[in-house]
Amino acid sequence: MTTTVCGRCKSSGAVTDFQGRQDGAVVWTILRCPTCNFSWRDSEPARAIDPAVRSADFAVDAGDLQRYPKILQQ
Amino acid sequence: MNDLPNRARSISSLRDFLELLEDSGQAITWSDPVMPEPGVRNIAVAASRDANGAPAIVFDNITGYPGKRLAVGVHGSWDNIALLLGRPKGTTIRELFFEIAGRWGDQEAQISYVPSAQAPVHECRLEQDINLYDILPVYRINEYDGGFYIGKASVASRDPLDPDNFGKQNVGIYRLQIQGPDSFTLMTIPAHDMGRQILAAEREKVPLKIAVMLGNHPGLAVFAATPIGYEESEYSYASAMMGAPIRLTKSGNGIDILADSEIVIEAELQLGERELEGPFGEFPGSYSGVRKAPIFKVTAVSHRRDPIFENIYIGRGWTEHDTLIGLHTSAPIYAQLRQSFPEVTAVNALYQHGLTGIISVKNRMAGFAKTVALRALSTPHGVMYLKNLIMVDADVDPFDLNQVMWALSTRTRADDIIVLPNMPAVPIDPSAVVPGKGHRLIIDATSYLPPDPVGEAHLVTPPTGDEIDALSKRIREMQLGALS
Repeated sequence: MTTTVCGRCKSSGAVTDFQGRQDGAVVWTILRCPTCNFSWRDSEPARAIDPAVRSADFAVDAGDLQRYPKILQQ
Repeated sequence: MNDLPNRARSISSLRDFLELLEDSGQAITWSDPVMPEPGVRNIAVAASRDANGAPAIVFDNITGYPGKRLAVGVHGSWDNIALLLGRPKGTTIRELFFEIAGRWGDQEAQISYVPSAQAPVHECRLEQDINLYDILPVYRINEYDGGFYIGKASVASRDPLDPDNFGKQNVGIYRLQIQGPDSFTLMTIPAHDMGRQILAAEREKVPLKIAVMLGNHPGLAVFAATPIGYEESEYSYASAMMGAPIRLTKSGNGIDILADSEIVIEAELQLGERELEGPFGEFPGSYSGVRKAPIFKVTAVSHRRDPIFENIYIGRGWTEHDTLIGLHTSAPIYAQLRQSFPEVTAVNALYQHGLTGIISVKNRMAGFAKTVALRALSTPHGVMYLKNLIMVDADVDPFDLNQVMWALSTRTRADDIIVLPNMPAVPIDPSAVVPGKGHRLIIDATSYLPPDPVGEAHLVTPPTGDEIDALSKRIREMQLGALS
């Protein structure tokens, strides 16, 4: 079951980047969150992609993206 | 297999090397169905447990990627590194170290050019509707990585301010995170060649085009990771170190690339733009943080027919990363130390890119090993990486951890260590006080010399040297022979 809610920042609206097929049938979908850039495959274990069980240590706060430093500044 | 040195010199591509590995029992094909996650990671980690003998693994039945091939662990064991250097399986790490240290300045570079139309890498070409996910059988390398990473890319670029200068072309290994079908971020720092080029292009508002080479001549992956001077060509260096020719061709965007690579992604920097990147499970065995990194747009992809995507498992050690770069981290430190102190007999900086290093030295005078340690901290790699240094006598093999532990047990005095506080540190070292700053430790595990009191405990001197090494190998062969 493909959800478009991001497992990392819980934003909705993920876009589909690719679908893997086997014998013509879709077997998984790669999605990408336009808010925090998390990309995932919907066949991955729940602990990596399901916001309900994913570790909070690796969450991204969609409301505070300014906190992440920009590399290579002049 | 009696002519390993010539066979190693005749390698010109990943395919050649995989064939050599397969002939030597050092490459296997995984044809059982496997899910990208967590299957590929699980198998790569299981293989990494055997740092001495792990084979390369070629997957050809990854669910959802029918017909696509993925190789991991190509440089994942000392036996594979030995074969690359033309030495037999079972060659010790110490022997491999001296094999590489002995090659410095030994050979001339042999560079030849292949017309683009004849270069295997250009057999298939895509210039529109590019979707990297449709070309590369990617998988999440570590569970909490921020996306799908290309972890073993050799990225070639020309100096944006001096694009005709061959020497100023840069080839380096940088981690790339795929950001949608035809974009990726590239992680670097200002001190790296690529970081300098990105900053220069953005400052002068000139284009920066790159070519990302995947599945390369196995020598390039080793030598592109070696810090050499900015104006030295990594291609020339790799060719000289391999003692073998390297075939180049042009990418569609005008960069010198290996003619026999499996896949080349051509891309252009999006000037001034940054996108969220990370985390990524890095070589200290911990995740890097989330950062805003430069982003590149893919303009074309070339690949061989039926290409092999080569990737790496990197994370908490021991991993392929350690065998890939360990000896080429150690050998330059050795060469640089020997310029000042010929008493240095070997350097083992295999551990986490040299966060711990072990140096063997003939003490010239009491306390001399500490002087050598301080010099090591001022070598180019030592400035940032050499955090813990263990100094041992020349009669201790720094590559044999049992011997190193003997030196620590019998020669270390707890009041004879040095802590240097608040020194530069690798930003991703998790033990840093703050990222980029931390403490250094020097443990002097060498013996006392006069005027220190040397005591009455005279050393046992068991037999050592070539004869004992040969006997040790013969015993091992007899043991293996007993099974067959």
